[in-house]
Amino acid sequence: MLAIYKRELRAYFTSSTGFIFMGFFLILSGFFFAMTNLFPASPNYNSVLGSITFIFLIVVPILTMRLMPDDKRQRTDQLLFTSPLSLTGIVLGKYLAAVSVFVLTLLITCVYPIILSFFGNLAIWEIVGGYIGFLLLGSAFIAIGLLVSTFTDNQVIAAVITFSALLFMWIIDWVVQGLPTDRTSGIIFAGIIALALGAFVYFNTRNIYVGVATALVGAAAIVLTYFLADRYFFDGFIVRVFEWFSLLKRYEEFQMGILSLGPIVYYLTFSAAFVYMTVRVLEKRRWS
Amino acid sequence: MIEIQNVTKRFGQHLAVDNLDFTVNEGEILGFLGPNGAGKSTTMNIITGYISATEGTVTVDGYDILDNPEEVKKRIGYMPEFPPLYVDMTVREYLDFVFEIKKVDDKDKKQDMDRILELVRITDVRDRLIKNLSKGYKQRVGLAQALVGNPQVLVLDEPTVGLDPKQIIEIRNLIKQLGKKHTIILSSHILPEVSAVCQRLVIINKGRIVASDTPDNLSKRLGDSSKMSLRIAASERQAVKVLKDVAGVKYVEAQGIMEPDTIDVWVEAEKDIDVRRPLFNALSRAGYPILQMKSMDLTLEDIFLQVTTQEKVEVS
Repeated sequence: MLAIYKRELRAYFTSSTGFIFMGFFLILSGFFFAMTNLFPASPNYNSVLGSITFIFLIVVPILTMRLMPDDKRQRTDQLLFTSPLSLTGIVLGKYLAAVSVFVLTLLITCVYPIILSFFGNLAIWEIVGGYIGFLLLGSAFIAIGLLVSTFTDNQVIAAVITFSALLFMWIIDWVVQGLPTDRTSGIIFAGIIALALGAFVYFNTRNIYVGVATALVGAAAIVLTYFLADRYFFDGFIVRVFEWFSLLKRYEEFQMGILSLGPIVYYLTFSAAFVYMTVRVLEKRRWS
Repeated sequence: MIEIQNVTKRFGQHLAVDNLDFTVNEGEILGFLGPNGAGKSTTMNIITGYISATEGTVTVDGYDILDNPEEVKKRIGYMPEFPPLYVDMTVREYLDFVFEIKKVDDKDKKQDMDRILELVRITDVRDRLIKNLSKGYKQRVGLAQALVGNPQVLVLDEPTVGLDPKQIIEIRNLIKQLGKKHTIILSSHILPEVSAVCQRLVIINKGRIVASDTPDNLSKRLGDSSKMSLRIAASERQAVKVLKDVAGVKYVEAQGIMEPDTIDVWVEAEKDIDVRRPLFNALSRAGYPILQMKSMDLTLEDIFLQVTTQEKVEVS
């Protein structure tokens, strides 16, 4: 894993990708820092972090688009996958390298609050909390980009799809407002999820019985929940499912300087889940 | 050392490898022959664990590739058809990286590195970026990569493709030399290349083994005739008429006119009969000078035609 990590980190800076990422990030964050803190002489640094989250939309695709396609293009995936390294080690090495470039960039932005501290007292721990949240949020986005990059051999396509996926994360909170919250639609939605799960299992195992069984178990779970457990469970079910993917909403607490366990665990789980899925997708590909 | 048992690989509907079954003994150099698309690279990718077989098992040194992938991969050095190079690294940085991912013990790394560089003769380019190297050097770096960690088994997928004749001979000698210490599987579609180096040949076509034997036995089995090409100053009809009547000639085929007022002809003779003198005598008696005569080696295509279809060629 360490070897992959070092090699990937190096690749970011032997190609222009790492510099483009850092440059773009620093220019925009610097601009917002100047507009929010310097010119109005405001000490509220966390609002800068809050307003620059949109930069992820553009810079995360740049960071992640080359992760998997680059090895595929150079055929070095053959070297990696025939070496005694585990698949998890390879994927983690790549992921951590991308996160490290991001962390490095964040460390440079620490100059901003240091500049501010010359002019008065800063709420240091509030800023630290903001940074932790920002780091976790970025890492989760990078995990999304990592997974997307395994689906294509083309860097441009990887970047575009990652951008779209992130854009969806942004509009998810608006989408949620327009979704139906009544019980019937909640049950129907749960039914669709059960069907999709069955289809997913079928396409992975090529076994129609297992697929149908999965869908039926899902359907049974819905019925049991409704009649035996909690009949109000499906009220607003769709909204709750979508909100589970709302990364940005959970960032609000950090922005206020609150460091609570819930969002931290959420972000870490989210990233871990996407890294895990990346490993599974790669493994699956070598089997088919 | 390597046992391949009933290995089948399907890509969707396409059957790439069909029930392949062979073993490679320790210290053996096995030639793996087949035309493009026969399933050579697929088989090698399965042996090295890059992709998995749909059915069947592969064991290396007693370890199953599915149950103990790490143990198998530690024992194999793989040089794929296109060398897997990070072109933004220098040769030395790249090999350093390979040393790390192959989890080689660090204590004699420096010596090993120098030995490998020397062996494939890339010592003088070790500090150059791989992207600036010529095709031949890239190929050698690819081979160097496979040698890292001194693996017991080397799997080399068309190692001489794209090299100039001098480099081909160098690589061929190198493989012979490596064969003293390693078990080698070598794929190729060039027959002379493998027959010069390998102790045993496995020929596959459309994913199936069509022949498996020593090069000598194969050519004995297949070489029941010898072919030569002649250029004769005569018309096609005249030349063929004379040639067909020569004793020992099995098959005559006109190839067309390459030079004005001559005809090029392929002549196939019976096994163990040297028809060159009778041909000369017959043609000179008829007054048709031979302008050119050369024997034609059995090409892989010929062998393929024979082992895949077992057609008997008749005198036309």
